[in-house]
Amino acid sequence: MLTDYVKQGVMAGIIAGLIFGLLMALVANPLVAFADEFGHSGDHAVDDHHDTTAGGHHDSAVSMSVTNGVSILSGVFWGVLLGGVVFGVVYYLLEPAIPGAGSTKSYLLAAAGFLTVSGAPWLVLPPQPPGVEQTLPTATRLLLYGGMMAAGALASLLAGVIYNRLHVAHRRVTAAAVAVLPICLLAIPAMLAPRNAVETTLPSELAVGVTGLIIFGQAGLWLLLANIHAQLQRRADMRDSAQPTATQLDGASTPE
Amino acid sequence: MATASNTVHSRLEQARMELTPTQAAVALALIAALGFTLLFVQQPMLHDSMHNFRHAAGVTCH
Repeated sequence: MLTDYVKQGVMAGIIAGLIFGLLMALVANPLVAFADEFGHSGDHAVDDHHDTTAGGHHDSAVSMSVTNGVSILSGVFWGVLLGGVVFGVVYYLLEPAIPGAGSTKSYLLAAAGFLTVSGAPWLVLPPQPPGVEQTLPTATRLLLYGGMMAAGALASLLAGVIYNRLHVAHRRVTAAAVAVLPICLLAIPAMLAPRNAVETTLPSELAVGVTGLIIFGQAGLWLLLANIHAQLQRRADMRDSAQPTATQLDGASTPE
Repeated sequence: MATASNTVHSRLEQARMELTPTQAAVALALIAALGFTLLFVQQPMLHDSMHNFRHAAGVTCH
């Protein structure tokens, strides 16, 4: 049973990951490269002759085409990872506890996943366009990112628990409203975290555009994952009801 | 899908019965390796080749 769930999650991940990889290849790669060049052309204006030989890519250990290729591949793996872990393992374990029925569960899980992996960490470290100087050292930022991921997961779980407790005795709207509270509480660690001042030479329109693309890309990826997962789930349900599985047959043949 | 077990606890129990410890360990290691590589690796070669992806995913970069 677990393997069925994981297979379904990985399947959703592969499809969503391929589409995200396409977004990487067609939009993110060229845009990031452009912003990179733009951001670094400002401070490298003095030594202008050695910058152009590397294809405009600033002091990278690898060539631009490697970066593009590996980035696309990473995008696909990103989808597979999220699909396998969140829509495979986590969905299998938490399915009985996720509020709602049918595809609502998939979409709620996607919302929780987005909050955990991107939303909560972005409260402390908003997505940055390339060529931005950040004041906090990388190690600190990694810790902060990881910490906020944990906080996001905790807030999502709490929201689910609170909803499940309340909706038995109260109206659904009341339960949902109270369940949102722990998510709002994420503002507290976000405010307490050290400030990460940024300095950029990018024109603000371009910076806003890149940030918008990043948010759109991740939110879209989760939406896509949920949608595909819900469809796969529906199809599996139909197959199950058409021909009873071995466990159901077993249950029918052994009287309790 | 089958609705045999309907609490989080029973799902855990069932997973424990279905998986051998080795399988679970291998799966965990795979997930951790992939997740760590995509999100946190700072080794220059790997890091730089995933540069565009990290920006697209909004993950901490250089």
